[in-house]
Amino acid sequence: MSARRSSTAGVVGKYTGAAAVLLFTLFPVWFMLSTAFNGRAASGTDSLFPTHFTFSHFTKALKPGASGGFGHYMLNSAIVTVIVVVATCLLALLGAVAMARFRFRLRTTVLVLILVVQMLPAEALVIPLFLQMKDMRMLNSLLGLAIVYTAFSLPFAIWNLRGFVAAVPVELEEAAYLDGCSWFRMFRSVLLPLVVPGLVATAAFAFVLAWEEFTFALTFLSDQSQMTVGVGLAEFLGQNTNDWGGLMAASTLVTLPVVVVFVLAQRKLTVGLVAGAVK
Amino acid sequence: MEDVSAAGTRPLPAAAGEARRPARRGPSLLVRLRPWLLLAAPLAVIAALLLYPIIRVVYLSFQEYGLKEIISGHPRFVGLDNYREAVSGDYLWKTVLPNTVLFAVVAVAGTVGVGTLVALLLQHLGRRMRAAVIGAALVAWALPAVTGTYVWMWIFDPDSGVVRHALQGAGLLGPDGYNWFTNRLSFYAIAELNVIHHSYPFVAVTLFAGMTTVPQELYEAARLDGTTAWQRFWQITVPVLRPVFAVVTVLSTIWDFKVFTQIYLMPGGSGTNPDVLNLGVWSYMKAINQNQYGLGAAIAVLLTLLLLAITAVYLRVLFREEEIG
Repeated sequence: MSARRSSTAGVVGKYTGAAAVLLFTLFPVWFMLSTAFNGRAASGTDSLFPTHFTFSHFTKALKPGASGGFGHYMLNSAIVTVIVVVATCLLALLGAVAMARFRFRLRTTVLVLILVVQMLPAEALVIPLFLQMKDMRMLNSLLGLAIVYTAFSLPFAIWNLRGFVAAVPVELEEAAYLDGCSWFRMFRSVLLPLVVPGLVATAAFAFVLAWEEFTFALTFLSDQSQMTVGVGLAEFLGQNTNDWGGLMAASTLVTLPVVVVFVLAQRKLTVGLVAGAVK
Repeated sequence: MEDVSAAGTRPLPAAAGEARRPARRGPSLLVRLRPWLLLAAPLAVIAALLLYPIIRVVYLSFQEYGLKEIISGHPRFVGLDNYREAVSGDYLWKTVLPNTVLFAVVAVAGTVGVGTLVALLLQHLGRRMRAAVIGAALVAWALPAVTGTYVWMWIFDPDSGVVRHALQGAGLLGPDGYNWFTNRLSFYAIAELNVIHHSYPFVAVTLFAGMTTVPQELYEAARLDGTTAWQRFWQITVPVLRPVFAVVTVLSTIWDFKVFTQIYLMPGGSGTNPDVLNLGVWSYMKAINQNQYGLGAAIAVLLTLLLLAITAVYLRVLFREEEIG
């Protein structure tokens, strides 16, 4: 298509467009990195290019004790994230198999329920969940936070994984039965290996949700030792002075794992949605 | 070929089915319960942490539930008082609702608009440029809401942000600078930039993936008829991809109505500037920061009803495309 109409105006338009998109898209990211590595001044000095390249913002942010010890918050977030990813994959797989492989009464009801709870705003649930966690003495608990995140990631995870399970031909399962497999044996050695791409997408989704969540962490955590990265970043902003260098260094550390996960899971991220809508 | 394989293999599964039938007939209850056994754990988690709380927030919204009631453990039932308080006066109608709705309308239009333009651009780019643009979009998409918001705050920092320096360098801004965050309109302009930057990549990547499924013959035929690119977009791309457009638009609408982090984190967004609150942040302020759980719950219920109405549209789209079977 592009080869056919190679008018100069078209080519210029194409590259101008691409340049504009790249500029808009990458400018904030570039600005974050530039500040994170810029050692020209302690804080409050911006620059499009790091004139005095330094790692000091990172080492200062990660130093235990100093400005909260961001490394500790990253460890907390990592603990929560691992629990959420494992729990979400396990529970979503059970739910997805039930929804994709069995026809049962109330099946459509369960599906609609899953779709509707997915839309519930966190701001509506944060009030009762705060009171619930308070009653159960689970405020300031990483496990409590992980349970809430798992519940939030489950509806979409089941919905998404359902498509991957449904795509596995039933004939393969029947062949396994023929060979004398039990249902669980079939599940483990036939179905499970084939839905691994779906599990990768589910894990990526749960990872991002748990790693960067803000609202519940803000509400449930008041104890500094339990802070996660989303709320921990605020410590770089003071009443009178903002440590922008430290904030941007810490932001870079928070962003990096998410970018890695997105790049790894990139092809699976929208496949389900498009396949569902175009079909 | 198909006939042969049908003759060769089909009797086998049928035979297998027959062989297993006696076993199935006996404990048929277990077989019938199997989907529910699988669903038990995930549904229990969803029920305990999503369904029960949403019922409780509705219940709370009819109660006087503040610090006094938490301590005494005896909330008072007040009927519709909380709702009356939320909708009375100008604040909901002149500040919070416009902030919520106008923000969402502009954000959805911006997200879908920019996303569509980028998807079309991707179609016309060579392989390398396309990989570069998709890669950049992935990074913007991956930028967490919290860090993304801090970066935009830093760019527009009233004291030493790059925008202030640029505008002063160009002579467009006086020596006193300007605080973009105190004015409602500029506050939301920055929030729009932040949210569109963060959410357009999803739309662009999804639409681009959809565009690759449109049969090229349609475009060839239309080109023979002498149509312009503009006509081909409206007469082929849009109609064929209508379901994809519908899904990304409704999803964006749902997300943009409940934007919280991006507003709460910006200066003044956590309550010190009442001009800039939206429904979600207002509800949060009342409940969590001011301990008026009943009133906060009522506002949260209003937001939920708004979102459920949009969700109903989403479900209709999905059902119409026979996604649910």
